[in-house]
Amino acid sequence: MTHRAPSLAILALALSIPALPALAATEPGEYLDRRAEIWNLFFRMMTVAFTIGTVVSGTIVWLCLRFRESNPKAAPTKYEEAGEW
Amino acid sequence: MVMELARPRPIWQIMFSTHHTDVGLLYLITSLAFMFMGGALALSIRAELFFPGAQIIGDAMTFNRIFTVHGTTLIFLFILPFASAVGNYFVPIMVRYKDMAYPKLNAIAFWMIPPAGALIWLGFADFTWYATPPYSVISAPGPAADMWIFGLKILGVSSILGAINFIVTILKCKHPDMPISRVPLLAWSFLSSSLIVLVALPTFAAALLMLLTDRLGASGFFNPAVGGDPIAYAHLFWFTFHPEVYVLVIPAIGMMYEIIPRFSRKPIFSASSGIAAFVLLSIVGFASWAHHMYATGMSFTEKTVFMVGTLAAVPASAMHVFNFLATMWGGRIRFSTPMLWAIGGIALFFSAGAGGVVNSAMPLDFVTHDSYWVVGHFHLFVMGTILFGSVGYLYYMFPYVTGRMYNERMGNIHFVLSFVGTVMVFFTQHVLGLFGMPRRVYDYPPIPEWIAMNQIASVGAMIIGVSMVIFLANMLHSTARGRPADLDDPWGLGAKYYYPYERKNPQH
Repeated sequence: MTHRAPSLAILALALSIPALPALAATEPGEYLDRRAEIWNLFFRMMTVAFTIGTVVSGTIVWLCLRFRESNPKAAPTKYEEAGEW
Repeated sequence: MVMELARPRPIWQIMFSTHHTDVGLLYLITSLAFMFMGGALALSIRAELFFPGAQIIGDAMTFNRIFTVHGTTLIFLFILPFASAVGNYFVPIMVRYKDMAYPKLNAIAFWMIPPAGALIWLGFADFTWYATPPYSVISAPGPAADMWIFGLKILGVSSILGAINFIVTILKCKHPDMPISRVPLLAWSFLSSSLIVLVALPTFAAALLMLLTDRLGASGFFNPAVGGDPIAYAHLFWFTFHPEVYVLVIPAIGMMYEIIPRFSRKPIFSASSGIAAFVLLSIVGFASWAHHMYATGMSFTEKTVFMVGTLAAVPASAMHVFNFLATMWGGRIRFSTPMLWAIGGIALFFSAGAGGVVNSAMPLDFVTHDSYWVVGHFHLFVMGTILFGSVGYLYYMFPYVTGRMYNERMGNIHFVLSFVGTVMVFFTQHVLGLFGMPRRVYDYPPIPEWIAMNQIASVGAMIIGVSMVIFLANMLHSTARGRPADLDDPWGLGAKYYYPYERKNPQH
């Protein structure tokens, strides 16, 4: 039974999603500053973009440093030995 | 296939040849000439915007003419012909055929480019590379606009002829022992982009004809004064030219697929996923054209459809980036000049794509619409991805074309300066757009932030200009006096190339 607990928790969370808008309902007549909302959305997306960008750029830099041929750890690839690349 | 400098041929033999390497060489030289011409116009634009107020360009009309011809030249007379140069040179070799399927048609397709270029440059139109109606219909001056329309018409026919030739060469003339799944990814990129050209370009051809008849007063398709609709032109234009972005970028990605495995000393991580991503991009490229037009009063549903259609390109693009990184993983990488350009291209491809996601998200598009953000995004794609892939491949094909090696140190300096310059110009333009500077302006108010960012961008452009002078010197000097290249292994990577360049293909 214990090993099913995570699955059941995810299922319960998924089933509760339709009820979330009701829980998060805003007060009637709340003032909405569209300009602020759009800029907030922009900054949130930029946060996501910069995070992913850092991961991708970091991976490129790490690959270049780790697998450069002058790295002391560099060794001929198996394809080089077979002359197949 | 080597341009035999030891036994040079008369120039007319190359000019009137229909052999694919000769036509490729003509495409190459022509496209590079136009690259320098279009680049010079870009420098004049950046010099003008260094300070607010009139600087070196006399008036706004001249400024408009300059950036119209700058865009038209670099897209239609540099990037597309450069891709054709690469395709002409290498596609028949890669599919192991003696020439393109229709050699005479191939030569005709090339010879349409010089007159079209002459029409565009001698006319020097002023209505942007988009030929903005109703201005282009009602009041764009005289023969310049008509010459631009005729020039683009000729270039469209040339592109269609070239696309037919690539498709037939790859699908019908490949060696019988070579299944389509084994065709190299560079050739696949030409197949994909050629199919896009065939589907997309006739729409723009029709739009140009309608524009011309509008200008002649015979019709009023885009003229609001007689009941026409300029937005209809926007639909027709972007139906062609959003997919056309993929026509430009797919061959550049194909070029990176040639460079990265070779200098990583490994095969491509997954050729089948590369093919799938090319096919996917070719299809979803047609589902996104109206994201250029969110601000034209489209309905919420329409905007949502095109936003989702645009975002559908993200997985395909990510597949390419993942494929590149996975190919490098576990390799033994040599950072020769072509590899530097390819890696720089991957990094900037990702950055440009991230900016594009902001443009395509409709609420955010209204923040960036018609601002310098769009200029930065588009140029980061065109320069950061397409030009970086193309220039990397130019260094890569240099020994095979000339039989000589380029100067590696100058190639590295060219890369570093171009990368720094590109980041300075186009990242800054993104921020400039967020600070509200509109694009396509001749002058701007003396807002300190705008002045500072324009100056950073202009300095970056000058750095790119310097790098291009180094590039030109390297190409000219190395073509004439570079050390002879070992064509089996020009970069000393320790193995022969895996395509049948010389020995296995008796036709070359």
